[in-house]
Amino acid sequence: MVLLQLDPFLNELTTLYQNSTDKGSIWVTLKRSSMKSKVQRNKMATNGEPIEYRCLIRATDGKKTISTSIVPEGKAWLTVSLCFLSGKVGARDHQRFQASYATILKAHMTALKKRERKDKKKAAEGDKKEGDVKKKPKRV
Amino acid sequence: MVYMASWDEFVDRSVQLFRADPDSTRYVMKYRHCDGKLVLKVTDNKECLKFKTDQAQEAKKMEKLNNLFFTLMSRGPEADLSEVTGKEQTEAQPGKKGRGRKQ
Repeated sequence: MVLLQLDPFLNELTTLYQNSTDKGSIWVTLKRSSMKSKVQRNKMATNGEPIEYRCLIRATDGKKTISTSIVPEGKAWLTVSLCFLSGKVGARDHQRFQASYATILKAHMTALKKRERKDKKKAAEGDKKEGDVKKKPKRV
Repeated sequence: MVYMASWDEFVDRSVQLFRADPDSTRYVMKYRHCDGKLVLKVTDNKECLKFKTDQAQEAKKMEKLNNLFFTLMSRGPEADLSEVTGKEQTEAQPGKKGRGRKQ
């Protein structure tokens, strides 16, 4: 599993969705995580250190897994300097990521049914018109 | 676990589940393009809540749930959800009263 920066993650997520249009599913998991092992957490707890949590986002098609993480906005200034080194995310990117993520989902979840069925009629009309054009080849 | 019929119940119980055990609760969204199906799952490895849909309309609600969990998971289970849920409620109300009222 690869821990990515936000933008590469979104790009990879887009490819995952693109490659699964014919068959297969895509899973996206959100989980609260400290990105530390249980041993580390226990040590921190016994030492009375505060454990910082972030939102871990994983995406998979069943074969390949990608992941990224979101830092809470209020505490982001602490981690900004580390962000560049470790693939973590700063506060300003947080909102932008949510928006881009929603856009990607909207763009790829096109197989879901819509309420209106006018689209089907329009599509049928469109096909007819195209058919007409093909039937009349121009002879010069 | 049986799929839940009511979206609101699914959201309410999901948030409750997360708040009860924030460390082990996860939220999974599965999308299958070829069948046009979307399945949402929230589980803490003991209890499992699922919601299934094939409607594009439900995908919009799912976006809001995504944002809700982004907030809950990054800021913590005590995070103030009024920003996220407040909007949800005001938007949901005119929808219930009558269609075509949207601006």
